[in-house]
Amino acid sequence: MNLTSIHDLVALLVVAQLAAPTLALLAIGIPLVVGRPLGEQTTSGLVGGSFAIAFVAAVVTLVVLAGRGFTPEIVHLGTWFAVGHHEATIDLVADGLSVPYVCFSTGLCLLVNAFARKYLHREPGFTRFFVLLVLFGLGMNLMVLAGSIDVLFAGWEFIGISSMLLIGFFHERANAVQAAVRAFVTYRICDAGILAAGVVIHMAVGSGDFDKLFHGAWPQADCLVSSSTAAIISLLLIFAALGKTAQVPFSGWLPRAMEGPTPSSAIFYGALSIHAGAYVLLRCEPLLDAAPTVGWVLVVIGGGTALHAALVGRVQTDLKSMLAYGSMMQAGLIFVEIGLGLRVIPLVHVVSHAILRSLQLLRSPSALHDRHALAAALGGQPGNARPWLSRLPEAWQAALYRVALDRGYEEMAVMRFIVEPFRGIVSRIDAAERAWIDWLGEVRLRR
Amino acid sequence: MSSTSIVPVLIACGSAVAGPLLAAGAVQLRCWRDTPRWPAVAGLVVSLVSGVAVWALWNIRGAAIEYGPRLGGGAMLHVDGVTAVLLPFVAACLVAVIGTTPRRALDVRGTAWFLSGAAATCGLFLTAHPLLIVALAVAAALPVWRATRDEPGGRPAARVFAITIVPSLCCLAIGTAMMLADPPWDPGSGWIGALGGWLVAVAVLIREGVVPFHFWFPALFAGAPFHVSLLATVPQVGSYAAVRLLIGHADGVPNELVALAQLAPVTAVYGGALALVQRDLRRLIGYLAFSQSALVLAGLAGTLPMELAGGLTLWVASGLSLTGIGVVAAALEGRAGPLRLDLPQGRFWDAPALAGFFLLFGLATIGLPGTLSFVADDLIIAGSLAEHLHGGILVILATVFSGIAVMRGWFGIFGGPMIIDAPRHAILPRERIVMAVLLATVVGLGIVPGPLVRTLEQAATTLLSKRHDALFPGTERLPGVPDHEP
Repeated sequence: MNLTSIHDLVALLVVAQLAAPTLALLAIGIPLVVGRPLGEQTTSGLVGGSFAIAFVAAVVTLVVLAGRGFTPEIVHLGTWFAVGHHEATIDLVADGLSVPYVCFSTGLCLLVNAFARKYLHREPGFTRFFVLLVLFGLGMNLMVLAGSIDVLFAGWEFIGISSMLLIGFFHERANAVQAAVRAFVTYRICDAGILAAGVVIHMAVGSGDFDKLFHGAWPQADCLVSSSTAAIISLLLIFAALGKTAQVPFSGWLPRAMEGPTPSSAIFYGALSIHAGAYVLLRCEPLLDAAPTVGWVLVVIGGGTALHAALVGRVQTDLKSMLAYGSMMQAGLIFVEIGLGLRVIPLVHVVSHAILRSLQLLRSPSALHDRHALAAALGGQPGNARPWLSRLPEAWQAALYRVALDRGYEEMAVMRFIVEPFRGIVSRIDAAERAWIDWLGEVRLRR
Repeated sequence: MSSTSIVPVLIACGSAVAGPLLAAGAVQLRCWRDTPRWPAVAGLVVSLVSGVAVWALWNIRGAAIEYGPRLGGGAMLHVDGVTAVLLPFVAACLVAVIGTTPRRALDVRGTAWFLSGAAATCGLFLTAHPLLIVALAVAAALPVWRATRDEPGGRPAARVFAITIVPSLCCLAIGTAMMLADPPWDPGSGWIGALGGWLVAVAVLIREGVVPFHFWFPALFAGAPFHVSLLATVPQVGSYAAVRLLIGHADGVPNELVALAQLAPVTAVYGGALALVQRDLRRLIGYLAFSQSALVLAGLAGTLPMELAGGLTLWVASGLSLTGIGVVAAALEGRAGPLRLDLPQGRFWDAPALAGFFLLFGLATIGLPGTLSFVADDLIIAGSLAEHLHGGILVILATVFSGIAVMRGWFGIFGGPMIIDAPRHAILPRERIVMAVLLATVVGLGIVPGPLVRTLEQAATTLLSKRHDALFPGTERLPGVPDHEP
């Protein structure tokens, strides 16, 4: 096969990885909009089928690329829109980072789809769940295969929206609603980082394409912009990653996100969404290489988050919260690895952690049953290893316990020093405006 | 243009205004006994079809179409890229609004006023003649005031509207007269023209709800019927006046445009921040509306093609999305009464389809990728950051606040414990059709924004060429900015 035909084949396969979930989304979404929702079997079948097609296409792409030593293939699908020199291009990239990652993510989506069709059988929000799952799958594939910051941002947003809506899936519960709003507030604030990074990239290289920002095969690509520009973009991307990856001081939403259905917790906060920030940083690793001091920011944040999560996770009284802190700790360690300049190890860490954690989360509803089965098999309760913290003096243990119970005072600090002052000022302005409008209208308005 | 080729344009433009005007007459004469909805819809559909025809004729001709006497650089009938896109957009929004307004909100007098306002608004978008712009701005504001005043409990809102809009219209009229008497774009112009420019700028600031003149937006949304509030805010009459009277004559009023460009992003942030703490849906939409219109103004007052094109794109995008949110809110309120946000209302159980539409329009408002707002936000943010760092940061902050406010609103209305005994409110077929078509338009234009953005870019570069000459006399034009209007 000559080079052109291989490029065409890769392009076709990459497009299939996006087209399959898109078509499934339309096939389920349009009947929903016109008031004729599909049945459970059809819905989950369409979603599962789309993930299966995307998975097979990804595996074939992986085989083709492996045969060529993972030389990157850029797939240019055209220009989305352009004004003057400002162009939003639809570029995708198939390389040694994106293709294995998309195999892994679509494979996990496929498995969770199979789990969820039974788990959510006859649930009132069955169709809604699968719409959001396929939207998430599409967002994931877009983000992973993105060859430009514009496409990456689109995928990033789809992940955030589907995550927020799945946290609030059981909308009749007040806690789920509050948790969803909290997660969205965090996402939205941090998304400003990726938005600004996109603009800086456009200003720096005149386009959002990654191949104008760095060149070469991952993970040995060369940065094509100055170190100061690379540092600015990297810091903005790190800020964006903090929210999605629940790093301190933006970690408060993650344990609350477990209000969502278990399959979504598994795939979002055990496997894929929680690592989205790490993926973006791995994708833009030449920028981090060009601005080495920025790497230390990652080390400090990741290390701090890992310590925080390790401590707080120990005092959680429910399994899903404990697992959430476990995910947060591992994500922190992955940040440390990326900050230290490692590239393949964080990728392996992401994949292995995601598989283990999603399995743990999927089994969490049956945890008591599993423990009883284990106890029956062992002929007694399985022993617990003595935690190293118990070797500390009792006063220290008590102090640490208090800190952990208050979740490291992280949320308290954010609420007291940022949220409440802001809300107070805005509420006072609002009250003054109401009084002014009432005075102008002479009598109180009806609402 | 020859008299034969102008005839179809005149017919299309005339129908765009005559459709709602005749419908207003038919409603007033009670030609339809059961409901004034159908004549109103028919009249506005005529406007919509005529608007599409105007767009098609402009495309065929490929250049601006002018007819009638000119004054101050503007003809009585003026069709360029701005008009060709905005006229069908305004008509489509008004069709959607009137098609979904609950029956009890559509009384004969109120509908006739609505249609009169719609006719004036459509007429306004077809002219660049300064005096006609002033007259039609007055004609567009009057029905809003009357329809609000006639609404039970709407007098205070009508009063607030009048207190703010009357000075705005006075500034517009006096300022326009002064600009015509002493054109600031002519060499050797004196203080009269300069003062006129500032008065028009103040009129635009008030009409677009720029801080500190914004309070009429939440007051109107709180006190007026939804369809009247949307008529007053979605077309953005003030922005259109700014395009024709300020941006179109930028060589005379560069400082006024700088003032607009600086105040508008601050307003966008302010509106977004205030929307975060609202306790009822109507006021939330009011704050969102002026935050979005300020973003449009921020783009229009910019100096880069992408800012201006972004402003024009956001004009369409936010208008369609806010119309969507407004019609869903009106439908919900028609069923469940006033909607508060301080405690979750649990309406998802009652109206799942409306919840879905509200969510999708809300996401479209805050720039979900795949919708037109995403394209517009991208252009405005890129343009603002390239021009002024602080402007770009303010625009990003505004989008962050608006996004949080919309989702907080959605969860506030639809989240929360369900009321098991409550009746389930199925969506009506006409509501579903209108909302689905509106949504398809927002998404379709978001997925394939190229043709629309190209049209608006062309309009933007034409306007910018004048602006560039004013701000940077003697320098080269910006890339892509043509030397002359086609």
